[in-house]
Amino acid sequence: MVAAGALAAGCRFFAGYPITPASEIYEVMMRELPPQGGLALSAPDEISSLCYCVGASLRGLKAMTATSGPGWALMIETLQYALMTETPLVVALVQRLGPSTGGATQGAQGDVWLAEFSTSGGYTVPVFAPSNAAECYALTLEAFRWAERLRTPVVVLSDKEVGMTSEVVEDEALPRPVEATRPRFAGDRPFLTYGFAGADEVPTFAPVGGDVKVTVTGSAHDQQGRLRKNSPEVLEVLRHLERKIAAHADEMALVRPDLDPGAPALLISYGVTARAARQAVAALRAEGVRLSFLQPLTLFPVPRRELDWALAGVDTVIVAEENLTGQYRAALAPCLGHRRVLGVNKIGGLISPAEIARAVRAAEK
Amino acid sequence: MAEKSSLYLAPDAALPYCRGCGHALVVRHLSQALERLQLAPRSVVLTTDIGCVGLADSLFPFLHTVHTTHGRSTAFATGMALAEAVLEPAGLKPVVMIGDGGAMIGLLHLVHAAQLNVDVTVLVHNNFLFGMTGGQHSALTPEGFVTSTTPAGNWTPPLDLVQLLAAARAGFLARQYATDADLAEVIADAIAHPGFAMVEIVEICPAYGARLNRLTGGGLKELVARQGLTMGRQVADAPRPTFSELYRQQRAALEKKAAAAEVVPLAARATLDRELRVVVAGSAGERVQSAAGLLCRAALAAGLYATQKNDNPVTQGTGFSLAEICLSPQPIDYTGMERPDVVIVASADGWKELAANGTLERCRAETLVVLDDGLLELFPAAASARGRRLAAPLRRRATASGAALAGLAAWLALDPVLPAEAWDATLATLSEDRRAQAAEALRLGRELAAPKNAA
Repeated sequence: MVAAGALAAGCRFFAGYPITPASEIYEVMMRELPPQGGLALSAPDEISSLCYCVGASLRGLKAMTATSGPGWALMIETLQYALMTETPLVVALVQRLGPSTGGATQGAQGDVWLAEFSTSGGYTVPVFAPSNAAECYALTLEAFRWAERLRTPVVVLSDKEVGMTSEVVEDEALPRPVEATRPRFAGDRPFLTYGFAGADEVPTFAPVGGDVKVTVTGSAHDQQGRLRKNSPEVLEVLRHLERKIAAHADEMALVRPDLDPGAPALLISYGVTARAARQAVAALRAEGVRLSFLQPLTLFPVPRRELDWALAGVDTVIVAEENLTGQYRAALAPCLGHRRVLGVNKIGGLISPAEIARAVRAAEK
Repeated sequence: MAEKSSLYLAPDAALPYCRGCGHALVVRHLSQALERLQLAPRSVVLTTDIGCVGLADSLFPFLHTVHTTHGRSTAFATGMALAEAVLEPAGLKPVVMIGDGGAMIGLLHLVHAAQLNVDVTVLVHNNFLFGMTGGQHSALTPEGFVTSTTPAGNWTPPLDLVQLLAAARAGFLARQYATDADLAEVIADAIAHPGFAMVEIVEICPAYGARLNRLTGGGLKELVARQGLTMGRQVADAPRPTFSELYRQQRAALEKKAAAAEVVPLAARATLDRELRVVVAGSAGERVQSAAGLLCRAALAAGLYATQKNDNPVTQGTGFSLAEICLSPQPIDYTGMERPDVVIVASADGWKELAANGTLERCRAETLVVLDDGLLELFPAAASARGRRLAAPLRRRATASGAALAGLAAWLALDPVLPAEAWDATLATLSEDRRAQAAEALRLGRELAAPKNAA
């Protein structure tokens, strides 16, 4: 459904390299993209995959690749290049158990930090986290929308369980694709490859090979794309890379809230574990436990406004995620004030509704 | 109108290279080559790598320029060239400027660009070392050559890029000195070549190579000869279709009926009022997961929600094959198998896996276990395993590849949660051969569930 979302979003370029559990996206794109007028091809490694995507995107094509943790590790250099050169692209990162080659056929939610905190300078990479097939479709559409609108790389972070489980999807539940294209240079003023008026503004795009000279660089540059060392303009360009994301954080924020106003505890979960959490919430409420639940679909930028709403009156926050160290819990910590923060964590298998319910009950005492 | 030369290298450009550096000659010859070809500046994209070669961008104020990460310039240029296959052809000519260090760290990109035969021209500036970072040796450093990291002389033989890329089927390959009078002509021919071209340009780095090796022009030629490196044009007559040409041709073959999403029409309404968790286990290649897929489709045709997760050893074609299915009248959230309601075991591989992954332990008294009766002999524990048990000659009657589906049918005969119309609708979607086999397996399974057969 990630592939279906990409096709619906108008993706026209895909370069892939086989890796469980992301290979199905690659195979579907190889089969479906050419008949739709796009190009899908096999790259000799993940570094090349993402470089090819950048090259194609520089020419104006919407581009995507799909990988898992070990491949993502190889892509981080080029991800940073895409971020620095304001090149739109989407990476579907289907997590598996790590570290290293880990467990190819085992799910995990252990790449949250690796997806988000992988740039020198700590720039925000938008990350969307689907928990089921329908959300894979919807969030891939969102990923393309924001990649194009903000001219930035965007990650769709799923995992083996979400990516490789066949499930029934109700047609009418799928959102209609919205038109998403990068802002194009209209020829109404001198062109600057990285020109912006306000720091949160997104530069207009002109393709390599078009009529307007384009100057692309991954090195620190001014608005024209010229290498400059620490000039005020260069620093402003670097600040702009973050500000354009921050300025749209509220618009990018997608959550599935199930709040019980006045409940003392808030359960937060995302991706595959949100499925178990929903079930745990229903069971706990049937027992009379008062509890709010929030499933962030946008992991980053952290949906602060929605989180604040959900946190009103809450003294205990419980974050359930399939990793050892509570990666998203740690990322949320600065937003949680002085509340008690607990984690439900596990590796090597799905966290079950019973395990979550147990943790919530224990927190009540 | 500006003079033509100013469309490429600005005539008054202050070249940023050290005195005596071959890079200056290369940019001049590149500019002459572009002039010779009369290429519109906007139809050229100069893609530069890290190193002193990366200073060229600003010297060509009218060309598109892309300054990249170390070694990746060829890959980014390949991406730009690949796009040509699906865009309105713009005749874009990517020219890559890379050093010997970048050529090695990005060797894979050179090889694949040559294999794909994308219309990319790579100019490898081979000065035998990393100049910008202090004169360290590279994979193209000649034997005996002194660099800052081989103070006693390099003892690793240099890579012959031309031969290597010939093996990758590159259509145009040359090795020239930066001082060659015909360098502009060779570069022009490389760019004009429709497909991948590489020109390795041998130079001396005045800051490190010349100083540390007391090297002059004549000495350079001797050095190159000692390495057995052949100079001049080496491959220029290997015309083959470019990637774009091939892709356009092949796309006709790739065109097919748009694969519409699989929409399963509602055939009947199941009476299932609870969630059911089903595990099917057997051997690879014996249609275990496809039987599970048929069950899910039948459930869908009966208006139920279904999920299916498959598992098998990494080798795929051997050992166990397993599917875990949830069926429910409500949308399904959690898909774990803590409490299986039905377990179908079609082979010994399947039994062993269920024992290993804990499924058998998680069976409860109400769990129905349908198993091939041969397993009772192989695994004495099977006779006393928890749960209700139906042992039947699944493999003997329905064959190895029908056993899993027969097992499912046997369960459904005992616990009819799916209406027959749902199966009919599912079978109707299969090819004729497959439909007959599946129908037979289902029939046999139902028969085996009849009371006289039940254990």
